[in-house]
Amino acid sequence: MHIKIDHIAKIEGHAGFTADIAGGNVTRARLNVLEGARLLEGILRSRGIFEVSQITSRICGICPVVHTLTSLKALERALNIEVSEQTILLRKLMMMGQILNSHALHLFFFSLSDFFGLSDDLILIKKYPARAKDALTLREFGNKIIENIGGRSIHPLTPTIGGFLKIPSHQKLGQLFNQSGSALAAAKNLAKLFSGLEYPDFVRSAPYVSLRHSQEYAFYDGLVKTSKEEGLDPNEFMPVLKEHQLQSSAIKFSFYQGKPFMVGAVSRLNNNAHQLNSSATKALKSAKIILPTLNPFHNILAQAIELVHCVEEAQKLLRRVLQKELTEEDRAERDQLIQAKLKAIKGTAKGIEAMEAPRGTLYYFYEIGNDGKVVNCNIITPTAQNLARLERDLSEYLPKLVAKKTPKKAIEEKIKTLVRAYDPCLTCATH
Amino acid sequence: MNIAEFLLPGMSKTKKPTIAITSLTCCEGCQVAILDLGERFLDLTRHIKIGDFAFLEEKEEPPNYDIVFVEGAPITEENITRLKSLRERSNILVALGACAALGGIAEIKNYQDKNERMRYVYKNFEGINNPDIQPLNFYVKVDLEIPGCPINKEEFLMILKQLLFVLETTPLGGIEAALSTVKIPRRPVCYECQLKQNNCLLQSGQPCLGPVMLGGCGATCPTNNYPCDGCRGPIPNINPDKLAKQLLAQNYSQEEIDLILQRFGLMDRVYPEPPAAIN
Repeated sequence: MHIKIDHIAKIEGHAGFTADIAGGNVTRARLNVLEGARLLEGILRSRGIFEVSQITSRICGICPVVHTLTSLKALERALNIEVSEQTILLRKLMMMGQILNSHALHLFFFSLSDFFGLSDDLILIKKYPARAKDALTLREFGNKIIENIGGRSIHPLTPTIGGFLKIPSHQKLGQLFNQSGSALAAAKNLAKLFSGLEYPDFVRSAPYVSLRHSQEYAFYDGLVKTSKEEGLDPNEFMPVLKEHQLQSSAIKFSFYQGKPFMVGAVSRLNNNAHQLNSSATKALKSAKIILPTLNPFHNILAQAIELVHCVEEAQKLLRRVLQKELTEEDRAERDQLIQAKLKAIKGTAKGIEAMEAPRGTLYYFYEIGNDGKVVNCNIITPTAQNLARLERDLSEYLPKLVAKKTPKKAIEEKIKTLVRAYDPCLTCATH
Repeated sequence: MNIAEFLLPGMSKTKKPTIAITSLTCCEGCQVAILDLGERFLDLTRHIKIGDFAFLEEKEEPPNYDIVFVEGAPITEENITRLKSLRERSNILVALGACAALGGIAEIKNYQDKNERMRYVYKNFEGINNPDIQPLNFYVKVDLEIPGCPINKEEFLMILKQLLFVLETTPLGGIEAALSTVKIPRRPVCYECQLKQNNCLLQSGQPCLGPVMLGGCGATCPTNNYPCDGCRGPIPNINPDKLAKQLLAQNYSQEEIDLILQRFGLMDRVYPEPPAAIN
């Protein structure tokens, strides 16, 4: 049997799939990424450190916040700059907005229709108008957080090296807090809906990797936790991630210790479920999944639980921010500090940082010169890490479907469902 | 949203125009911006037939479109083929966002040694397309540009409604003339920035391109203390030297000014003959 899907919709970017199956064996299962190469790491070289985060934001229109912030953190690491508690709080809030708007988009608009055999979300919306509204409420809440702090929801403007160009008003943050109650209700509704879905029974043995933080469910910061190891510094981990470019493809696959692995919501849940906020913990209990789960389809459910967690976390952060007197930062002082740090660089300075993007761990590496220009850089996105594992999953899943005598059309649908469960972002993966 | 709000006089409730919202190579943020309209966009979908919008459906594509919105830059050969095919099959083709209208960030390599950049990123580079990045109108006729990185979603909604009105009220053959009524105001970012009573970033010494760049964005960037970097492109027939002179007087080098103009691929528009590549 030859399977060929020209274009898989409802993912970020463009990809197709081909596989040949003979006598129950899959000879070649391959995801064909159809994205052009924008050469991001190349074009950043010889450009200034104050603008590169604005350019890397454009890697992805769905997760621009995490690209901006990870890029800034890596530059700050290279410059050895500590940011204030206020900056960290505001950045963490932006991250909650990021996870919420991305997950809500993926869960309701990309993945949900797969469970009802629908190819058109407009029909899905008619079927579940209240849940559609919940998804839109969460997207709106997430976007408003990013917009009120970052100045704009897509490609935020205010985050900069060492802090922010503009501090949000107390009033705007108060408005966000007022909206958080309805956002939490919406998140709980969606978590309930996704807990009630029937996930395909596909369990395989695959390593999972995410950040872990000692104090909180990690998004902004943390050490790398694999299924076997604890606490690797991203500084040590990123260099040993082996990037492998397939011949003539604009995508690089990533391997750790020679193996493909999975990142994303399900890996975070497997590693850090004990740190979920209270309502999210309840949502996890009623979801009745046993952790660690080795079913990749549970990535969808994990995202739904994270929705609840992230609204609760946003509430906590907003409470803390609202108790503080936010101070405008002294830009002249900050610029002087950065210039002094640049001057102190002998030769070049390097920085590696990682954050949990909606789709998994995102790594940035910069090497900068004392002229304030980028000498070298590397970006390893979650989807670039996941693709090798996704391909492996597909080649393990296909024979199971064939053994059950699944009709070809249904096999194609199942393949697309699995691809979408990973929530791949091919514009990120290629960049 | 109230349907009556956009059901303009003469618009029928029965004939639904077929539209596509599709992307070449880009971050897809302009499509996200459209989804961010939320219910206002979903309400509108009752009055249009969505032929292609990969964020919402995966049905077979129809043969023809009334309107196609294309975001992204043509990078791969498939991108270029698809763009040409969409043009042939559509009444109205709209370039959506900076990548489609100007080239966007992917065009930065045009001003560098693009082959060296390719070798830096990929070991096996022979099979990867690496053309000079060009906006859509280099390859096909573009009827309208909705600029910005990302687009202003309010502007998109307004233009979509205007285009639906044009389609509804204009006899076939007259569309081209009617399209000239659908326009984006040609005024600088400064106009909107001053309405917001912002402090002038240019006067405070920052490299803000507001005086010569197309407004319509609500001056979002300078409002957030981020100097305008021209993602909507220059106003036609500006004299770039005047601003450059001002920036040079403020101790910016021509190289620094060029780097900003390269960011969204507008240096070749501002200076029709770009200087030799820098590395």
